[in-house]
Amino acid sequence: MSRPDRREASQLRALNCSLGQSNRADGSAQFSAGNTSVVSGIYGPVEAKVYEEKLDRAVVEVKFRPDIGAPTTKDKWMESAIRNTFEREILAHLHPRTLVQIVVQLREGDGSVDSAAINATSLALVDAGIPLKCMVTAATCAVLSDDTTVVDPTQEEIDAARSTHTFAFASGSPTGPLYVDSRGEFTMDEYNHCYDLCALATERVLAFMRTAIEGKVTKEAKISAA
Amino acid sequence: MVETGQAAAAVAMQTFERIHPVEFQRRFLGQNTRHTGREFNQFRALKVIKGAISTAQGSATVRLGNTTVVCGIKAEVCEPDVKRPTAGYLTTNVELSPMCSARFRAGAPSDEAQVASEHIYRLSMHLLDLTSLCIESGKAAWSLSADIVCLKHDGNVVDAAVIALVAAIEDLRLPRAEFDSATGVVSADKEALGHVDVKKRLFPATFVLVDDLCVVADADDAEEQMATASLLVVMDGEGKLVNLWKRGAGVISREAVEQCVERARERMSEIAKVLD
Repeated sequence: MSRPDRREASQLRALNCSLGQSNRADGSAQFSAGNTSVVSGIYGPVEAKVYEEKLDRAVVEVKFRPDIGAPTTKDKWMESAIRNTFEREILAHLHPRTLVQIVVQLREGDGSVDSAAINATSLALVDAGIPLKCMVTAATCAVLSDDTTVVDPTQEEIDAARSTHTFAFASGSPTGPLYVDSRGEFTMDEYNHCYDLCALATERVLAFMRTAIEGKVTKEAKISAA
Repeated sequence: MVETGQAAAAVAMQTFERIHPVEFQRRFLGQNTRHTGREFNQFRALKVIKGAISTAQGSATVRLGNTTVVCGIKAEVCEPDVKRPTAGYLTTNVELSPMCSARFRAGAPSDEAQVASEHIYRLSMHLLDLTSLCIESGKAAWSLSADIVCLKHDGNVVDAAVIALVAAIEDLRLPRAEFDSATGVVSADKEALGHVDVKKRLFPATFVLVDDLCVVADADDAEEQMATASLLVVMDGEGKLVNLWKRGAGVISREAVEQCVERARERMSEIAKVLD
């Protein structure tokens, strides 16, 4: 069995990211895995509207914009997925009565969009300097019709898959996943296998994120020192 | 004297529940019980009534404890999508109005309703083979719109909505339709009604991590308000998993997920008994 792009079963696509591209947002990050590319922008902590502010914590709001067309319930679903994942990882109690707005724009979708969105948001929150409990990383894998499991599937692979599984983990928290979305027709064994593969893949994503952030911080230190 | 004391205690407890709902629940969870006395893995009584709405082509009412949900399916004929000429349509819409709970406002669907609509739409793709709705390839097909209205929200609307959709689809009777290629008109014989082919039945089970303390099955509204994570397990009729959806930052360990899946497997037979 060979994948259309000749990758190994557990191989991620080429990861790429750039931080702080948007000079209007407090923080931003573009994250791409192969052709899938997502930009996440953070505005916050900013003033929250009186009717939605919380007295003891910041409110986290997510807007997800698709690549083509107006937002639909599919994008609302994505918003809810991202908000549920990050709501408690952001140290919201440090900024009561404020709003942290996360705006995610899908630039190009080629499979594993939800994990790219979560990864982009994680990087953008760091770029914005929002205090976080931990880094959140996500990965997707798919079980194909010939029972092989592939990591970071493209849209073509997802369309032909029997089931797809997206996991998001909080770094340094091995007891359980932060977010799980497994869909299709699968057994618990397949689910557990996908869990393990995604856990390994997210470790690689985390290492990539660490390198990217270290690079940015060193560059900024040089600029401010000069 | 004793009666007054008991009555006073009951009023005090109701007041406490109203004013400090979180603390009220914590008192029970701290003692390893639920405020209604249910077991942690016990689901509420399920009641399904098919054919509740006579004006809809298919309908069902589901009562899960106090949560009441009605699903009505209306069928219309339309032109199939150019890219998929042999497929019909099935759209699902979950409505959470102020009628079911004070939490919701009138007007545009809330985020909770939109997310529920989208999730149930994705699940519904397993339910029906859309090509079975085709009347004439490229010319006419059935378009089913399933409206799932929550009448009373006492937690776990998603489970009730999925069961209602499954029951309504099973209740659905479509007239046999014929496409006249000369006139381009679809004629339907109201006397000849047939069921649609259900590809897979869906059996949902929602578990909620309450206040980071314990995982409970089929949370009611009070428990849902304190949920820090929720896990939806959907099984098909053969014991294979169709969906595993965990949301919220609370930790549900791998072992706990496996236990929930096992409970969902038992729940599958409980629901099947009521549906049949």
